[in-house]
Amino acid sequence: MSTQDKVKINKLPTGVPGLDEIVGGGLPEFSFNIIAGAPGSGKTTLAHQFVFANATPERPALYFTVLGESAIKMLRYQQQYKFFDPAMLPDSIRFINLSQVVLEKDLGAVLEQITKEVEKANPAVVVVDSFRTMVRKPESDMDLQSFIQRLALFLASWQATTFLIGEYAEEELRDNPIFTVADGLFWLRQTAERNSIVRKLQIIKLRGQDSVPGLHTFRITDAGVQAFSRTFGLTARKRNPPSDRRLCFGIPELDKMLGGGVREGDSLLVAGSSGTGKSVLATQFIAEGIRQGEPGIVAVFEERPQAYAERAASLGLDLETPQKDGKLTILYLRPLDLSVDETMHSILDAVQKIGAKRLVIDSLAGFEMALSPGFRADFRESLYRMIFALTGIGVTILSTVEVDESFTEFPFSTYSISFLTDDIVRLRYVSIDGQLRKIMVVIKMRGGNHAKDIREYEITSKGVVILGKRLINYQGLISGIPVHSGRSAQEEEPSHDSETNNQT
Amino acid sequence: MTAAPGMRDLAHRLLTYEAGAGKTSEPMESPTLRVYEKLRQSLGEFVGVTGFELLASRALTLARPEAPGLSAVRVAADGSIQGLGEIETQIDMNKDPAGEGGIILIAGLLGLLRIFLGEALTLSLLRNEWPGEAIDDRNSVHGRKA
Repeated sequence: MSTQDKVKINKLPTGVPGLDEIVGGGLPEFSFNIIAGAPGSGKTTLAHQFVFANATPERPALYFTVLGESAIKMLRYQQQYKFFDPAMLPDSIRFINLSQVVLEKDLGAVLEQITKEVEKANPAVVVVDSFRTMVRKPESDMDLQSFIQRLALFLASWQATTFLIGEYAEEELRDNPIFTVADGLFWLRQTAERNSIVRKLQIIKLRGQDSVPGLHTFRITDAGVQAFSRTFGLTARKRNPPSDRRLCFGIPELDKMLGGGVREGDSLLVAGSSGTGKSVLATQFIAEGIRQGEPGIVAVFEERPQAYAERAASLGLDLETPQKDGKLTILYLRPLDLSVDETMHSILDAVQKIGAKRLVIDSLAGFEMALSPGFRADFRESLYRMIFALTGIGVTILSTVEVDESFTEFPFSTYSISFLTDDIVRLRYVSIDGQLRKIMVVIKMRGGNHAKDIREYEITSKGVVILGKRLINYQGLISGIPVHSGRSAQEEEPSHDSETNNQT
Repeated sequence: MTAAPGMRDLAHRLLTYEAGAGKTSEPMESPTLRVYEKLRQSLGEFVGVTGFELLASRALTLARPEAPGLSAVRVAADGSIQGLGEIETQIDMNKDPAGEGGIILIAGLLGLLRIFLGEALTLSLLRNEWPGEAIDDRNSVHGRKA
């Protein structure tokens, strides 16, 4: 059978930002779906968003309420959400209370009542909330199975897309006829992680469509439910081919050490202890990008955008003007209970809005602290997905990370995340001639040449300035406590910069 | 408790509208009863029989101090109102077609709806039962004309 002969399943907008992408483009028309989860997990709100997105006077939505939350209180609370349009009631959306028939009669009478209302209204959408209370006391399993079969068949025949809402525990997934009959099964979870609430959504099944598997973070705000796909909405995008273009810092000696700059689409990690100039380097990277006509995003977690711009100004770097011109966005991501997916969503929005080519994450430690404790366990995995997605669309990322300074080791990162990065620049303090000085070394440049030199630098009013040649008179520089080698300047060897090649 | 002026105006308009509509229909039914029954039908659909009965009982309780004549009126378990007809037959319908007690009761019921659902949603629901001229924006607390 050719693709032309196959039935085309229309996809309806879910009305939930981010959810259309997760369900594979929209909810299949005429599908029979279950929204399951614990109390307070957002089931009713999700269903309301779908109803308000799809109901029309010609094909209205019928919202059957049963014994759970009283309809009047439900409407009282739900109308606080921005998507709730009172003018759509009752022509486009009708709420029908089935409590009496459920209390006084059997499932057959309930089916009869639903049938009567559906035949009268010809709805495009039918919701039963809460379905669980309706079938809590079936006379037998067969009654329940028969009821669900007939209900599903009837609503599909009447070309209605249906949601049954129920409070279910995950143990009930097995051997429950409701889940067998359903075309779509949406499971909403809400767990407390230390002092934060983590909400996750899973599409356990969705017939006829490729939904994105796994657990997706969601949040409930005054706009209703907002979902954040694990794939960040980039599943349909092709990865950009690797580029040979180099992005400069505008610090000639450093750019030379990097073999001409950071390769476009790379993820660069700048690691060092407090005060070594990681943020200064990051700021210079962004400022140079803007100078080169490459819009940028700075995601800050430890200070407000104004403070960040003021610090840049003290280095002679103007971040105010490019912000006004739409060339730079400094994102201050609200700390404490973020998910990586939400952060990613904010960053992606900003990247797409200004066509950013450079992104600075300052810092990964701040980023981790901004996350809800429940997401910190997944930090590395989430970071990997985020970096992979962003570099895939050609964004060059510079992340800063603070490392504990040790005089016995030379760690690149406390996060064991160096595998996530293409390039690493390490900054550290070193004790020389009774002074605490700073050195810099390029640890790796994936697929490119870089210098092996250890260079001393200073942070001046113009930013990071690399001093002189490589330090050849000392041994054990990376230990932080070098010893003088006794070699004179005349014995200096040629610099092992990128021209002499060190490819990793 | 005195109903908000906006709700009194709205109740008055609904009762006046029904008084006018009642003149053309066969049985001479109290306008208050007609408004009440329409509210019972439309609200009962989504709040349920018990839900409406409880709202109506609350409205009646709130209305009694202001309209002692309502003391004999009762709300039945199915949400219907009993004893209202007897009171309203004592009122000169030509002089007071709406009936003060009826206005207070209906205003109280509408006031409860506004408290729970807000004005926009309350008016949306009423528009399903009455034409626009009966539910004029002048009845809006925010949109009342001076």
